[in-house]
Amino acid sequence: MIGNRSETEATAAVVGLRVAAPRRGRGAALRAPFGLMVPSLALLTVVVFIPMAFALYISLTGLNQYTIGDWLHAPFVGVRHYVDGLAPNGPLTGSLLNSVKASLLFSLLTTAAITPIGVGAALLFNGPLRGRALLRAIMLLPYIIPTFVNAILWRLVFMNGSGVADQILAALHLGSRETFWLIGPNALWALVIADVWAAWPFVYLMALAALQTIPDELYDAATIDGAGRTRAFWNVTLPLIRPTLGLALVLSTINHFNNFTLPFVMFGTSPPEQVNVLPLNIYVNSFITFNFGLGAAMSVVALVVMLTPAVVYLRAARVGDTD
Amino acid sequence: MATRTASVSVSWRRGAAGRRLSAWTVARHGLALLFAAFVLLPIVYMVLIALQPTSTAGTEVVPKIWHPETFREMWDTVSLGIYLRNSLIIATLAGVLSSVLALGAAYVVARFRFRFRNVFRISLLATHTVPGLLLLLPLFVMYAIVQQTVGVVIIGTYWGVVFTYMAFALPFSIWLLSVYITGLPVELEEQALVDGATRLEVVRWVTLPLALPGMVVTFVFAFLLSWNDVLFASVLTSPTTRTLGVGLRNYLSENYALPEWNQLMAASIVSAIPAVILFLIVQRYIVTGLASGSLKG
Repeated sequence: MIGNRSETEATAAVVGLRVAAPRRGRGAALRAPFGLMVPSLALLTVVVFIPMAFALYISLTGLNQYTIGDWLHAPFVGVRHYVDGLAPNGPLTGSLLNSVKASLLFSLLTTAAITPIGVGAALLFNGPLRGRALLRAIMLLPYIIPTFVNAILWRLVFMNGSGVADQILAALHLGSRETFWLIGPNALWALVIADVWAAWPFVYLMALAALQTIPDELYDAATIDGAGRTRAFWNVTLPLIRPTLGLALVLSTINHFNNFTLPFVMFGTSPPEQVNVLPLNIYVNSFITFNFGLGAAMSVVALVVMLTPAVVYLRAARVGDTD
Repeated sequence: MATRTASVSVSWRRGAAGRRLSAWTVARHGLALLFAAFVLLPIVYMVLIALQPTSTAGTEVVPKIWHPETFREMWDTVSLGIYLRNSLIIATLAGVLSSVLALGAAYVVARFRFRFRNVFRISLLATHTVPGLLLLLPLFVMYAIVQQTVGVVIIGTYWGVVFTYMAFALPFSIWLLSVYITGLPVELEEQALVDGATRLEVVRWVTLPLALPGMVVTFVFAFLLSWNDVLFASVLTSPTTRTLGVGLRNYLSENYALPEWNQLMAASIVSAIPAVILFLIVQRYIVTGLASGSLKG
């Protein structure tokens, strides 16, 4: 829900905690002590369920900093915020639509980039290596470092002129020392690079977990059948890790799409157009200009856009099947 | 070629030979080093910047003058000590309390079958995909309304953020603990019930001690979630309850042109250390422990 933490959840899920079926019979005859659930349910209701419904309502009203004092009588404006945000020639010049595009581009680019890196690393570190345990722990570092720290680090790397990115570009004669990364069109690449560095260990972790469940016998059999290393990868490894990998990619897309901290700390509240991703745009409308109605409408759009991969995720997780 | 891969991986597990230095082995180790460099270089860069005086930090890579005093000076530049304390308090409270609440709900889900059990479990998973920003705005408005009508201050206090983080940690914590409890033997609980203990006593004195390893994982999960968050803390905390993430980001935006990069990097390193330590502790549970056999089938 926040940042990339749901990835941790998925990791634990895949890495071996199988949802076990509850014991039938015993205990079932007794009345369940629902009192033990009440605190959790109450908290979830107040902090998650009611706000979700409330967000939908706010998005249809003209609630802003002036009408908040008398919020019950905030004017009902219907779908005006949605239309305003999405219309290219509307009062917001399609700000919402542009942000949806920027977010989709960003999340798909990063996911596409981290997949081969993560799978490659998993294959590498699943095999025999000297110092493998230490190397495996090191690989997790970018993923563990808090996102705000990651953002500060890459902001310094991409400072124009003095940043190490420009210094390397200049030293290799690939670009000018005055290449701008934090403003203008290059900002998208700065954001993608920072996110790729921080997020690839997630795919690695998931792929590694899946690889560890493949029995060696399958590879022995493949070898006996005359399959080379490449054939074994495409015909044995990939089909077996595909379900886990699929889940990892869906989750990664959702999490990059919802990533607020990285662009917020790297670019602040007036970001270049290319990195004015949906979470930043929502934040600015909600908490800088206090146009609550518009901000809520934008976040409902964010939810709807991510509903497709979310449904795929839920189906893949197969909660319904395990009863 | 292919035969060798298979035999190497088998012999590795036997701990025997496999020490022949083939081109493939060299290539693998070379690749591993490349990966290590890819991961470590930015981190080393951070450390090198932190060890420079302000005058060169951010322009030089390798320090000409070493200046480890940065790690002392940074405490005075921003209220780092206060931010650190706030982050620790908020993350610890959220971690402990959400694990305790989750235990109760997880116990019911694990041990009983009831009507909306599946609906409940599916809704737990579904909440993971909800963007935080969708909830932040209505939460902020709701808290503001409660403040205005009831007069109880929520925004800017520890409890406002702690409750929020707790709720976000609950779905995963309940789910993980219910799986964990399902794997525990039910006989001890039954014995306690026969001896006249109430359900609450059973959960407190029988289930909790047995579920403690699972609760360590849920604690760390909730702690890290709270520790890493900037979004909710930026809106729900005040200067006295401000957390590390928000404090550092505010410093960065207030000194947009020329922040003291050496101190900022030093403070960032300090912020990352608790997260790294905690994750490495539970990594055992998450990766090796759970993947090795016991839960495989």
